[in-house]
Amino acid sequence: MLPPVMKKTITDNPKKLANLIDLVNLPSTLREFTGQSQISRLGCFMRVWSYIKDNNLQDPNNKNVVNCDEKLRSVLLGKPQVELSELPTLIKLHFPKEPK
Amino acid sequence: MGKIPPSLRSSVSTSIIKKPQSLIPNESPSHKPHHFPKKPARKIPPQLSEKTQEPTAFRNPFSSPNISDAKKVFTSIVAATKSPLDLRVHNALLQSYAAISTVNDSISLFNHMIKTHPAFSPDRSTYHVLLSQSCKAGDETLGSVHQVLNFMLTNGFSPDKVTTDIAVRSLCSAGNVDLAVELVKQMAMKNAAPDSYTYNFLVKCLCKSRSVSSVYEFIESMKSSLNLKPDLVTYTILIDNVTNRENLREATKLVEMLAEEGFKPDCYIYNTIMKGFCKLNLGKEAVDVFKKMKEEGVEPDLVTYNTLIFGLSKCGRIMEAKKYLGVMVEMGHFPDAVTYTSLMNGMCRKGDVLGAMELLEEMQAQGCQPNVCTYNTLLHGLCKSKLLEKGLELYGLMKECTMKLDTASYATLVRALCREGRVADAYEVFDYAVESKSVTDVAAYTTLEGTLKWLKKAREQVVPGEATRLHVGR
Repeated sequence: MLPPVMKKTITDNPKKLANLIDLVNLPSTLREFTGQSQISRLGCFMRVWSYIKDNNLQDPNNKNVVNCDEKLRSVLLGKPQVELSELPTLIKLHFPKEPK
Repeated sequence: MGKIPPSLRSSVSTSIIKKPQSLIPNESPSHKPHHFPKKPARKIPPQLSEKTQEPTAFRNPFSSPNISDAKKVFTSIVAATKSPLDLRVHNALLQSYAAISTVNDSISLFNHMIKTHPAFSPDRSTYHVLLSQSCKAGDETLGSVHQVLNFMLTNGFSPDKVTTDIAVRSLCSAGNVDLAVELVKQMAMKNAAPDSYTYNFLVKCLCKSRSVSSVYEFIESMKSSLNLKPDLVTYTILIDNVTNRENLREATKLVEMLAEEGFKPDCYIYNTIMKGFCKLNLGKEAVDVFKKMKEEGVEPDLVTYNTLIFGLSKCGRIMEAKKYLGVMVEMGHFPDAVTYTSLMNGMCRKGDVLGAMELLEEMQAQGCQPNVCTYNTLLHGLCKSKLLEKGLELYGLMKECTMKLDTASYATLVRALCREGRVADAYEVFDYAVESKSVTDVAAYTTLEGTLKWLKKAREQVVPGEATRLHVGR
């Protein structure tokens, strides 16, 4: 059973949920990063975030900032440094809206 | 469950003058916490004990649904045990095999058991194992159910009301309420009419999935064909059902009907009605129910007080709720975690989280342990009242005990952290929520994403001086 809040989100906006959890064919850059040809937006976020944690890429002086290594840079627009708060937005860029 | 560390307690309530705590006697309550009257205990039928219990703690000895394998397994078990197997072991073995096989194979094993092991004399409960399996087979025509019933009959056991009860429960738990209704009608003709427990169970199942009018239809047809009339429990179920659908008019009608039928409402009925009012934030009406109970001489129980205090807290009438906490203690009831949490919830809603923390202290002084709900309520309250540091301390404690966060407290905590620019900490909370399975991954992520979006907007809008605070972080 889903919690009521979730249920509401789904019934209110099935599309919004779909574009979060549907598998998407990935462009080559992401394919290299994840090692998969398909992933959902949620899965991709989880992958990037755990990559950051596993490789200790958060700036030791300011944990809100991530110092990208080469591999991470390839998926985050080539930026040397990103703020954690922009992470969802940056990842969303790889998942453009389906043309209607 | 961990206690609130003294540092967290004292620093919160230092500014508040301590109230005398003579309200509550200094004994630690030893009873289990009661919850809201969803399932009055009296509805549990005595028949249940006749059902063989599923051997969940043991590994299923039967690994393959193949009948010849199963026969071998049975033979080896018989050979391995020195003492003679009794009926319960046979029933348990049959049940284990039934869990993975078809009805026909189970019957074959049953016959094999009798043939190879003459000491085994099956009784009614053995057949009920087979019956329960056949009900879960999920065929549309009740064919395998009748097969087992006939099998029982040929072996000299005519079905009785226990048989009906087991069949109905198995069918309902497999989601076949319609078939259960059908079967009850057929069984009634075979001299195995349902008793009031089966009847009420079925009414309850119908309430969950059907419209109110179709439940009434069922009640009418039972009344006319089997002369089974609704009793007090049935009315409790019906009233609970309509109040859950927020249909108070129907509830009032049912209460009147109840009186016409000559029933005197008992504590459960009153509790259910009161719960209905509380659900709709009708504090005054809830108090009226309480007064009515007193007038009618029905003694309120712990659930009554908990419901009343919950309802009053919910609609913001904290002073009254506290008054009833006093009344409750006077009447010799021990307030439990539900009572205190309801009150804390009300106080937090009013913005008085410090008062709630103080109540926590009082609660623990009375020997009542806070539960997950209590902690979540307080965490939510602390974050809402911008007491983030205290909230984080509480969160740390919850994490130590691997307690789950609820949706509301998770969202407020993430938001409060982001507001302070502590995005990394918000990510940590996100990780914990996912790891502890407090909320689904999707819900956790949606909240985080939404909050970050809100943060971005807030940063764009605020004046430059303010902006530094949002940006600097830790």
